[in-house]
Amino acid sequence: MKKRTFGPGIFIGGFLLYMLIPIVATYMFSVATRWDRTILPEGLTFEWYKTAFADRWFLIVFKHSLVISLSTVIASMVIIVPTAYWVHLRVPEARPILDFISTLPFAIPGVVLALGLIRLYARPPWMLARTPAMLVAAYVIFTMPFMYRPVVNSLKAVNIKVLTEAAQSLGSSWIRTLGQVILPNIMPGIISGGLLVFATIFGEFTIATFLVGARFKTFPMQLVYYTRRDGRIASAYSVISFSIAWVSSLVILWIATSWAKRSSSGGSVVGKDISSR
Amino acid sequence: MSYLDLIHLRKAFDETVAVKDFNLQVEKGEFVSLLGPSGCGKTTTLRMIAGFEIPDNGSIVLSGEEITSIPSNQRGMGMVFQSYALFPNMTAWSNIAFGLRVHRVSTAEIKRRVNELLDLVGLSDDGHKFASELSGGQQQRVALARALAIEPRVLLLDEPLSALDAVVRVALRNEIRRIQSALGITTIYVTHDQEEALSISDRVVVMRQAEIEQEGTPEEIYIQPQTPFVATFVGTINQFEGILKDSERGLVSCCGGELELSITPDAAAGLSKGEALTVFVRPEEVLVGDAGSQDNSFQAVLRSVTLLGPVTRLNLELQGQTVYADIRTIDRHRYVLDKSVQMSFRRDSCRCMREGEALNENSAHH
Repeated sequence: MKKRTFGPGIFIGGFLLYMLIPIVATYMFSVATRWDRTILPEGLTFEWYKTAFADRWFLIVFKHSLVISLSTVIASMVIIVPTAYWVHLRVPEARPILDFISTLPFAIPGVVLALGLIRLYARPPWMLARTPAMLVAAYVIFTMPFMYRPVVNSLKAVNIKVLTEAAQSLGSSWIRTLGQVILPNIMPGIISGGLLVFATIFGEFTIATFLVGARFKTFPMQLVYYTRRDGRIASAYSVISFSIAWVSSLVILWIATSWAKRSSSGGSVVGKDISSR
Repeated sequence: MSYLDLIHLRKAFDETVAVKDFNLQVEKGEFVSLLGPSGCGKTTTLRMIAGFEIPDNGSIVLSGEEITSIPSNQRGMGMVFQSYALFPNMTAWSNIAFGLRVHRVSTAEIKRRVNELLDLVGLSDDGHKFASELSGGQQQRVALARALAIEPRVLLLDEPLSALDAVVRVALRNEIRRIQSALGITTIYVTHDQEEALSISDRVVVMRQAEIEQEGTPEEIYIQPQTPFVATFVGTINQFEGILKDSERGLVSCCGGELELSITPDAAAGLSKGEALTVFVRPEEVLVGDAGSQDNSFQAVLRSVTLLGPVTRLNLELQGQTVYADIRTIDRHRYVLDKSVQMSFRRDSCRCMREGEALNENSAHH
């Protein structure tokens, strides 16, 4: 008979508790009537969600964050996907440079990035400071690794050089090759990159506050505002924010697994993208 | 002027010269193989024809039209890759239809052509399948059909069978030849497999270190190799290094005088007495047993036996030198390991070469 060991169970259990307690607590706090005098909440209510939804700012900040996140995703795709493709196809020797640049946002704190951008773009001829457009521009930089990595992994998984040559020999223009041959085959990478960018931007506070501040309130700014007024409404906001991130993650997972069924190579790469996050 | 003219092609990557002054004329409908070890420049040559590499020098002329700098997507070359390169997001049917769609062929015509091609490559029932659902051999058939769909001016195949199993490889190579002959399509075939090149080509171009070593029909390449490299690269061959002792009688002294070989005076033409040379004999020319030839008859010792299929290769030791002799496998029991056997070969089966060149007068030179 197999000997039972508790070691791994303790570690896994400890890890799960560590990860889940804050989330579960936030959920419970968002549906609790009161939870400061007892061990468990005194009662359950949806009052805080109602209050959150009833606030006229809710829809505004939700829309702002949605627009900013989606714009960032689109801008990021348009800039990064063709660049990564061309570099991989035509200037492979420049790959390490691009790999290095794509990690820079991890090294530069958001505050530094924001202040630097304000100093650069607040003066003529740009005059972009404190506009949503500038926020999107900053976010494209900030989230570059999230888009670049999955796209590059997908590019590596399909032999884009040979596929491009095959399409060319059949008479295809480069734009058709990109649209009909390359993009469909790296789509898992693009989609998972896009969802990672979306989830990251939707909950981003620091850069948004520094760059646009109160002139363009986003969802996390409203969340922070409520933490100072009523923690339970703030919890409701947090849960909504979590949910959006989770739905994004589920969609990534679903795409990864369904792709894995279709082609073994492509799918495993998307899987890698997620696990490396 | 021939159909496809490759004139003084040269291509270097950084310091490495991949192709050095390559000249070749290919006639319409001809099947030409570029054969050589890896790194000999055969693939680079093919890629220059396809337009994937631009030559540093020289020109490519296709039916009178200079195409050296025309982009690959306007050359009308059909290409088949070693890695199949099917578009993974499309079915076999759509892969074949891709080139036709690019060329704005009508839907009805696309349907007709694709079904016809699927039929031609024996995959009529598999059009709906994705590449991942097809075996390697089937994928390569689809890739072949896809390249043929655009009715290419030249069909280019880059080691198309290297990734396949031996059985599939032989079946598919015969099929490639059958389809090529039926369609009369000009074909350039790159391979490192000499058996493949010999079996399907009208003409074989043997390359080595960025240059053409020899070109000719498969028979010329095998029977009349012009250089030691061709002699040893194409098939197996026995080599005896020696010194010409008597040019009139054709006597060669080998193994420090222990062995005297008799060659035809023709084979030794151009060599003077005392000159060093190498004598080449194919294993199938070496006869074992009593029924041998009188020209070069020796006692050797059988050291090992390799079964190759219908033929069995005997590894004989003659004066410290290894000699291969191919016998019919059904005769293999006549010989016993480590026992002495009688071996011989006819003098006119010997080819002689001085350092780097052939010496046989009657060999066809191109």
